[in-house]
Amino acid sequence: MSTVDQRPLADPEQPEEPTNRPAPRDRFREWIARPYARRIVILTVILTLLIVPVAFLVLHFMNLSGGPASPVMYEIEKTMFVFTVVSAPLMAVTLAILLYSLVGWGRVKAKGLEPPMQESPAIRGNSTATVLWISATSVLAFFLVVWGITELATITAYSYGSTAADQQPNSQKAVVVNVTGQQWVWTFEYPDEQGITSPTLVVPVNRPVYFNVTSLDVVHNFWAVELGIKIDANPGAVTNTGVTPTKLGTFNIRCAELCGLHHAYMETTVKVVTPEEYQAWVREMGGKRMA
Amino acid sequence: MSTATVSIHEQADVPQPVQHGAPGGFVRHCNILTGIAAGLVLAVVTYFVGSLWLVPWGTTTANYVQVGNDALWAATFIAWVIGFMAGIGAFAGPIRWSLGRDLTHADAEYLAGKDLGRARYWKYTTDHKVVGLQYLVMALVLFGVGGLLAMMIRTELGVTWKEVFSPDFYNAIIGTHGIVMIIAMIIAVAGPLGNFILPIMIGARDMAFPRLNALSFWLLFAAVPPLLISLAMGGIRDGWSVYQPLSAQAPTGAIGYQVTIIVFAFSTGIAAVNLITTTVTMRARGMTWNRVPVFAIGIIASSIMGLIWFPMFQYSQVLALSDRAFGSSFFNPVNGGSVWLYENLFWLLGHPEVYVVVIPATAAMMEIAVVFMRKPLFSYKIAVAGFAGVVGISAIVWVHHMYMTGWAPAANYPFMLSTELISIPFGFLVLVLLGTIWRGKAWTSLPMMAVYVLLWNKVVGGITGVYLSDTPVDQYMHGSMFVVAHFHFMLMGAGLFGAMGAIVYWFPKMTARMFDERIGSIGFWTAFFGFQLTFMSMFVAGLQGQPRRVLQFDNAFNISNWLSTIGAYIIGIGMLIFLAAVITSWRSGVKAPANPWASTSLEWQTQTPVPLENFPVLPVVTSDPYDYGVPDPYDTASSKDQAKQTVGAR
Repeated sequence: MSTVDQRPLADPEQPEEPTNRPAPRDRFREWIARPYARRIVILTVILTLLIVPVAFLVLHFMNLSGGPASPVMYEIEKTMFVFTVVSAPLMAVTLAILLYSLVGWGRVKAKGLEPPMQESPAIRGNSTATVLWISATSVLAFFLVVWGITELATITAYSYGSTAADQQPNSQKAVVVNVTGQQWVWTFEYPDEQGITSPTLVVPVNRPVYFNVTSLDVVHNFWAVELGIKIDANPGAVTNTGVTPTKLGTFNIRCAELCGLHHAYMETTVKVVTPEEYQAWVREMGGKRMA
Repeated sequence: MSTATVSIHEQADVPQPVQHGAPGGFVRHCNILTGIAAGLVLAVVTYFVGSLWLVPWGTTTANYVQVGNDALWAATFIAWVIGFMAGIGAFAGPIRWSLGRDLTHADAEYLAGKDLGRARYWKYTTDHKVVGLQYLVMALVLFGVGGLLAMMIRTELGVTWKEVFSPDFYNAIIGTHGIVMIIAMIIAVAGPLGNFILPIMIGARDMAFPRLNALSFWLLFAAVPPLLISLAMGGIRDGWSVYQPLSAQAPTGAIGYQVTIIVFAFSTGIAAVNLITTTVTMRARGMTWNRVPVFAIGIIASSIMGLIWFPMFQYSQVLALSDRAFGSSFFNPVNGGSVWLYENLFWLLGHPEVYVVVIPATAAMMEIAVVFMRKPLFSYKIAVAGFAGVVGISAIVWVHHMYMTGWAPAANYPFMLSTELISIPFGFLVLVLLGTIWRGKAWTSLPMMAVYVLLWNKVVGGITGVYLSDTPVDQYMHGSMFVVAHFHFMLMGAGLFGAMGAIVYWFPKMTARMFDERIGSIGFWTAFFGFQLTFMSMFVAGLQGQPRRVLQFDNAFNISNWLSTIGAYIIGIGMLIFLAAVITSWRSGVKAPANPWASTSLEWQTQTPVPLENFPVLPVVTSDPYDYGVPDPYDTASSKDQAKQTVGAR
């Protein structure tokens, strides 16, 4: 009643049964020796090198006013850059095959109504190519997922972490702003500054700002473009976001959700100022610092 | 030729239906004109009767005055649809059946348009080839309307120094452009080609439900006028997504949108059931699931998504209509409704809709690549797996349209995951197309060039889609021109250019004329380069931070908008040239032989023009339709693999 497998162990000295398939390395050598394979690989590399600079172009267009104005915007631009770079080879290989197909493997034309009946190799499937393609796209997709989740956690911490700053000294406490959208203006209320209200947003630099966003009528979208934050302003609900501006200057706020007649003109500005200028502005608006 | 069918009816032991009157019965008196007349009469009567009763009722019972007027117009539009369908004879069938009068063979032949000549295109005709051509013309008309509106949009955005249109009208044209193009794209491939080509391709005599086929087309026909009339009633001023509660404050034109979507959803649902049932039950002998043309699989995949998700969209509009016409508050936050509920219901279809459009076009490209490369499909199974994967994952990605709504920030994580995973099955489809192109000699005919164009546009659209699926990036890009450029690359770049290639490919079979490729190619390539200019510039405008759906903007965006507008006009010119090629070829092109591309697929084996029941003798299928090519000269090491694959495929 022994359950021990009594078959002889494979002899390590004995060579394995020979198969028809050569070793992967030899198969690769055989493949790359084909003229088209070499050319497509070279073409792919060249195209990749041509596409990668697009990533810099992307940064250029996203940086009209020069450099990100908040850590959130920095993370967004970094992500755009990385995604462009990592997807460049995929785009390059597709383009390389398409271009090479038109110039390298031959073209035929019909004569009148007669089909050319050219001869092409009958390739039904190729497990190596399939495995390589699916692995490459899967690895890329999983990289993007992991990157995206990490980045989302990071910017969420930047945006929503501001509420935890209650214990900090006054100069570092989050500035709370209640943002109200209505057709077709934005109103900014500062509850901690005795409820002063303003049609433009003024915030101190390097201090977290926390937004409670709502709408009086239809759905708007509060988009502080250069600060890289965006959240819907919904009627009947309050949504939140936050940011720590790190650059002085005047930036754009636009409505990014169609809200009717003058949607295009529902714009205002956010002025990022020094703490002293901010205090001066608060006093000027009629508020007084509490505590 | 229809002897097989006749002989069944003539068997002595089968009780014969009794012929009542002339073949066709009531439908003999019906055509599109009686339909329009009946629709208008019923609509006008409803409007006047309704204005006596509904408007006073509305002003006294509901929260706002609008209600009565909206209910009136909803009733009028619905009366138009019912009247039209009655006038064209859609109800004759059910009434006959309830009276116990079965169709005789002569009736069935009349309904299929036998011996009716051109009149059959204007009637409630059940022949799938007639329905296919009706869909083709309808799609062309809708593209014409949508394209004209697109030109108006680009004109407004190109003239950066003043408003060409009033903001009201501008908002109306962007909304109407959106929904007209969405409807046109949904029917562009599955309508003409799914109806005309698919049954022949699988060796059937007609669709599984011929009368439902006619119903699906004429419902679509009846659904479109309320949409276009709404332009005269203030239009759809709230984008094609008609977010609530903006839609609730829009003028009465919004009712046109809601009625159109509700009716159109019935039309697509019926068409989807018909296409699926036809492919499942009507295949020729020997056509096992391994031998079904991949185009049919693509149409099934698209139909499944439409069948599951369209009811969500339809119901969102039923509820929205109820909000307007009865003053209920499903979506009105003032009375406890939820704007997020609407957004979820809308995007449940709104996203899979893109795949509903792109997948049939991609599947058609696979058929084309095979024929013009004279190579087998690279891998049937990977293609099917790709379709299945897209259909499966499409069910769980809709929230990526709502990352920035604040509805459920924690849900952004799982939906980012699912959205990025859908790129893997999409990659399968790209792999199959690239593998089919790989090492083949290309017959560089216009349909084949559409394959190259589709692949390029799909890769650009796919990669920019990956950016948008990433929540942090979407925090910048959401609601910007970048999104607009991205989905135009998918819907127009892949969907429309693919549809153009597919229509050119099957043109000889559908119209019995050869397509004028010389003129057609000029139009196609002009449109292609205009397309690249328009939407590449639009990506730049998006990166610079231009929101979508605006008619005036910061000077920083001027250059990219000018380029975009120039590109749009080039597209317009290209499309007009292409349309001219379609029309002249259809009217006076060279007579097409039965199989001009030397394809092995079934639809090319029957004669041209295709006879009433498609095949004199139904074919028997012994292999898949991809048996092309010569032995691979390089094929040494992998011969065992290939033998295995080939056995599986045959």
